[in-house]
Amino acid sequence: MNNLNEKAQGKAMGLTACPSCNKLNEIKYLRCSRCDTLLLVRDTSSLQKSWALLITAAILLIPANIYPITMLTDRGRIRYDTIYTGITHLVQSDMFPIAIILFTASILVPLLKIVGLTIYLSAISFRLPISKKMLMVGFHIIEWIGRWSMLDLFVISITVALVNMGQLLDAKAAPAATAFALVILLTQMAAKVLDTRLLWDRLESKDDTN
Amino acid sequence: MERDCIDDCVILCRSCDLVVRKRALPSGARALCPRCDTVLYDTPYCSINGMLALCITALIFLAPANFLPILELHFFGSVRTTTIAEGAMAVSQQGYWIVGLSVMLTAVIAPALLILSILSQILIIKYQLHNAFFRNVLKRLLAYQSIISQLSMLEIYLISILVSVFNLSDFADIFLGMGTFCFSMLFIVTLFLQREYNLEHMWNMLDE
Repeated sequence: MNNLNEKAQGKAMGLTACPSCNKLNEIKYLRCSRCDTLLLVRDTSSLQKSWALLITAAILLIPANIYPITMLTDRGRIRYDTIYTGITHLVQSDMFPIAIILFTASILVPLLKIVGLTIYLSAISFRLPISKKMLMVGFHIIEWIGRWSMLDLFVISITVALVNMGQLLDAKAAPAATAFALVILLTQMAAKVLDTRLLWDRLESKDDTN
Repeated sequence: MERDCIDDCVILCRSCDLVVRKRALPSGARALCPRCDTVLYDTPYCSINGMLALCITALIFLAPANFLPILELHFFGSVRTTTIAEGAMAVSQQGYWIVGLSVMLTAVIAPALLILSILSQILIIKYQLHNAFFRNVLKRLLAYQSIISQLSMLEIYLISILVSVFNLSDFADIFLGMGTFCFSMLFIVTLFLQREYNLEHMWNMLDE
């Protein structure tokens, strides 16, 4: 207990937390004493997995935004809407609050999530001198807000199920919906698989007081 | 012996692996990691009987919330209704099965699994079923708990019902029904259940 100074890493003390139940274990054991999960002191491969998922998501973000996400038949006329034009239609029909909610959930959040995770992963991979505390705050925000992108998909599923009156008024989903769903799934997984402890090890040589 | 002492008074931050000395907390307070602000632990606030009551309430609302229509649309005399699952099916049938599957998973399956999983954990702990089989079940359930609660997105679905109402009220008349009420209640009860539930505390009960 005497060597418990303020800035000690658990790894340096021969201790590690179980990845599943967070119980304290000694590094020499293979499995957690409480839940039998394999102990991983650091999951170094998680960085590669996270990069792979993130790059795939970034590529899919392009079709998700340029292809139409809904198809609306209104009295015989067919109108295709991308995420962006759908929001501009809402603005034109004076529904600002809804437009802001949808803009945040389907354009701002996915974009910020990909940019944020790219910065975060580059900071680990290329040892960028960015404040670790700020990175971690950003990471927690990304983890929490990422789920809200599902809003658009829920709205589409409700609309498609309700509005089906043939030529008169009919809503259908369009190809971007799948790409958008995959963007959400992959970015959430990229944040989920990453072992954030890597950040705090790698930058140890730099000033870590902030 | 020294190890036992370390076990009780030290905790490792799961995000940055910092060694933190445990302290007693006043009720309602949370301990954050001093280096990276991740939540480390909070005061055990998880009353088994309270959670059991919330679980049973949630179970009562679960069926009507999923089988009664959540929205009703009237358009020149024709009436359309939908449940959550029908919405997911409609998207799947147009070929977007990934979208349908994710809607089904996050709005129907995960919330139901969440409630059933917490209910079984509580029953095992409350009736002190200590044989190997039940201990194993409890371990498995606790290990999957965090992923299930992340997948369950009732709050987002509730907001998207509101967004759809505003969106569609331009074209047609929209009515909320008993299903919408049951769904809102399910959301509120699950919210309180998740506030009351504490994974760390449940793992400790396994040790006892």
